[in-house]
Amino acid sequence: MERKRPLRLNRLNFVINVTVIGSVIGFIAYMFYKVDTVLEYHWQWDFLPGYIFHWDESEGHWVPNLLLKGLFTTCRLVIWSMLVASLIGVVMGIMRTSDRLFFRMVSRLYVEFVRNMPPVVFMFIFYFFISSQLVPILGIDEISVRASPATLAVLEWIIGPPELFSNVISGIFCLAIFEAAYITEIVRAGIQSIDRGQIEAGQSTGLSRFQLMRWVVLPQAIHRMLPPLAGQFITLIKDSSIVALISIQELTFLAREVAISTMHVFEIWIFVAGMYFCICYLLAVLFGRMEKRISVYRS
Amino acid sequence: MLVSRKILLGLGVLFGSVFALTTANAGELQKQLTSESVIETITKRGKIKIGMSTFVPWAMRNKAGDLIGFEIDVGKKLAEDLGVEHEFVPTDWSGIIPALIAGNFDVIIGGMSVTPKRNLTVNFTAPYAHSGMGVVANTALAGSLAWPDGYNSSDVTFSCRRGATPCTLTKKMFPKAKLRQFDDSSLVLQEVVNGNAHAVLTSYPKPTDWQIQHPNVLFNPTLEKLTKNDESFAIRKGDPDALNVFSNWIMTRTSDGWLDERWAYWFTTRDWSDQVEE
Repeated sequence: MERKRPLRLNRLNFVINVTVIGSVIGFIAYMFYKVDTVLEYHWQWDFLPGYIFHWDESEGHWVPNLLLKGLFTTCRLVIWSMLVASLIGVVMGIMRTSDRLFFRMVSRLYVEFVRNMPPVVFMFIFYFFISSQLVPILGIDEISVRASPATLAVLEWIIGPPELFSNVISGIFCLAIFEAAYITEIVRAGIQSIDRGQIEAGQSTGLSRFQLMRWVVLPQAIHRMLPPLAGQFITLIKDSSIVALISIQELTFLAREVAISTMHVFEIWIFVAGMYFCICYLLAVLFGRMEKRISVYRS
Repeated sequence: MLVSRKILLGLGVLFGSVFALTTANAGELQKQLTSESVIETITKRGKIKIGMSTFVPWAMRNKAGDLIGFEIDVGKKLAEDLGVEHEFVPTDWSGIIPALIAGNFDVIIGGMSVTPKRNLTVNFTAPYAHSGMGVVANTALAGSLAWPDGYNSSDVTFSCRRGATPCTLTKKMFPKAKLRQFDDSSLVLQEVVNGNAHAVLTSYPKPTDWQIQHPNVLFNPTLEKLTKNDESFAIRKGDPDALNVFSNWIMTRTSDGWLDERWAYWFTTRDWSDQVEE
């Protein structure tokens, strides 16, 4: 089909593309020009690299500075939250479609409670009222004191600096529980989109409920769930900045500290926006790949 | 007769034991208070956790990404004098009091001014710093306004950092003026520089510093201190032991001139500026 497309249409496409891209670039350039006239601001970018990498005199090599450290923290936070959120979301989503009223009510209650609250409020309540009671019981601070240097190094790599273990763990759970409410709904929609006839067919061949989910419903549902999931995970990355409220030194928090210290607000925020864009875009590409792969399996 | 004697004896034993219990309790209570004091926690842990928020020149990041500033000096010296290590916990200003109450750190050394309202939720030590508030304004917008009466009008906009003392002062001094609130101090300044706000009240040395940084855009309508504030360490309530230890540390370091000397370095000179800017 592609090959038979008339040449004229291709040319038209090309013209449209050029116009769109050109006007976008033009608009951005115009904005920069306007910013310079509206904004009384002395642009200065040369200090930025110093806050990404820093030459450590005593150690004699380059070490990551605040902005890069913040990026690492954000990445750790996001990866763990995504895993925990997926787990909670899938379990809750399946409960949401259960035949038992009790399960449906539990997950419905959870979704409506969490989804209808602003993230900052949720964070505040969750952290200061619930998590600050629960986490000390887990004895995480003890671990950071008692663990051997080797374990500590590994833990530092996967969670973050030892003195912030309990905060980071609270942050991960808080983010995960918050985002999982949305994932629950995505999972529910995915499961319910599968034709009733297939479930009945599965049941009549004698599959158990678990087998039905594992072999009939989920493989098809996942394909439909992936695009909204990608969107939800990208939201999670951006929402992760609210954990700055509980002293976790993630990208937004450290960027703000640098901005206050250096007084170069716009340069920092523009750069940080670029960093967030990179992580989010990477994730989008990853999900795009996954989608393609699954469609290959299906056909 | 026998029965009533038995009752009397029983009552005697009861009162006796209650008395014994209460006296024991008083002793216990004192022990408990001492052992629950945050001072005990600090010495046991061998480290003091200090909550702070970035605010030039109280606390900020140098080129290497380390914390520097007046407060950082105070915190380090305090830890050194108590014979423990120090750990700073940078926290969002709006969440700093809840974080203290939740036990995230032992004390706030964060340039926090003593106000009766705050004092209802936390305890304050003796003051370790005395800041004053000044004003800086946009020349183009406010150059012709008379200080301070001309600023109390609905045509005038102020900016301030959300939840900070200057916001309250602005509302009190200029009830008719509009107020724009931001979460960090760099945006507060930017708003005035851009001409979206006429003026901003803020603690010294910022009014003069900002004017020096933007000589053509900003001016100081007055150089007098509008208010004087007392900054203290904030600790959780019900801890007389910690209150005494911190207050006396501040008293000693005020008497020997150490606090004044550090204050002068961070607030009246800009010798430290090469550590921050490139």
